[in-house]
Amino acid sequence: MPYALCFLLFMLGLYCAVVKKNMVKIVIGIMVMEYAVNLFLIMLGYRSGGTAPIIDRGQLEAGMGQFISSSVDPLPQALVLTAIVISLGSLALMISICVRTYEKYGTFDITQIRRLKG
Amino acid sequence: MKGMTIIVKTIASWVKVLIVLFGIYIILFGHLTPGGGFAGGVILASSYVLLMLAFGREFVQKDLPLALDSKLDCLGAFMFALIAILGMVFGGIFFVNFLQKYLPGKPLNLISAGTIPLSNIAIGLKVGASLFLVIFLLSTFRRDTSANR
Repeated sequence: MPYALCFLLFMLGLYCAVVKKNMVKIVIGIMVMEYAVNLFLIMLGYRSGGTAPIIDRGQLEAGMGQFISSSVDPLPQALVLTAIVISLGSLALMISICVRTYEKYGTFDITQIRRLKG
Repeated sequence: MKGMTIIVKTIASWVKVLIVLFGIYIILFGHLTPGGGFAGGVILASSYVLLMLAFGREFVQKDLPLALDSKLDCLGAFMFALIAILGMVFGGIFFVNFLQKYLPGKPLNLISAGTIPLSNIAIGLKVGASLFLVIFLLSTFRRDTSANR
């Protein structure tokens, strides 16, 4: 069920990116898609009732076995952190393209941005 | 008068110290607690964004000029690459943790992870400087536009 909701969120973002004509809305759709993928990856590593994969002093002294059997998978979280960083960079790039385009054409509507001049 | 009202300016000039301190804490303790270079760098950048919102763009540019910001950005990337290449020089493998042998340390102490805190500091510099640069440049775009029209 959570995976289906995640897929629904991705499809919502895809719909927004494909159908809408405003450039800012397209950017928002792309970001919703990215966050849906991030959510999916996080949920792959989830374990119901699991604890955060952070070791404190008590757990270290009690031995690692109990920690390993109770914590969620930290690998997708590290992967998603990297993905968030990259999505931040791509978001800045997209926003600056939007700003430059608006500067040149005075509109965000992609159907009116037709002149291919340098 | 540039920027916001005197109330916002006073509070911002007090709070900025706490935000910078919190960012440094997040970076330095990145290998022990949640957080790390990226999160701490974002917090450091947000302190300057707060200053930019409260005092205006010129004040921040006097405090942290764009040239210095760009240099810090490059310094962070250079430090990170240097740590990786030093791993290749001393350990034979790219990004190997070569300090772990000489500075073993106990787990959960501040000095316990070899090169990982150094990498965190480099990433924090890089992310903080470049994120502030991004926000600053995005905010100057609009002023250029209005000046051109």
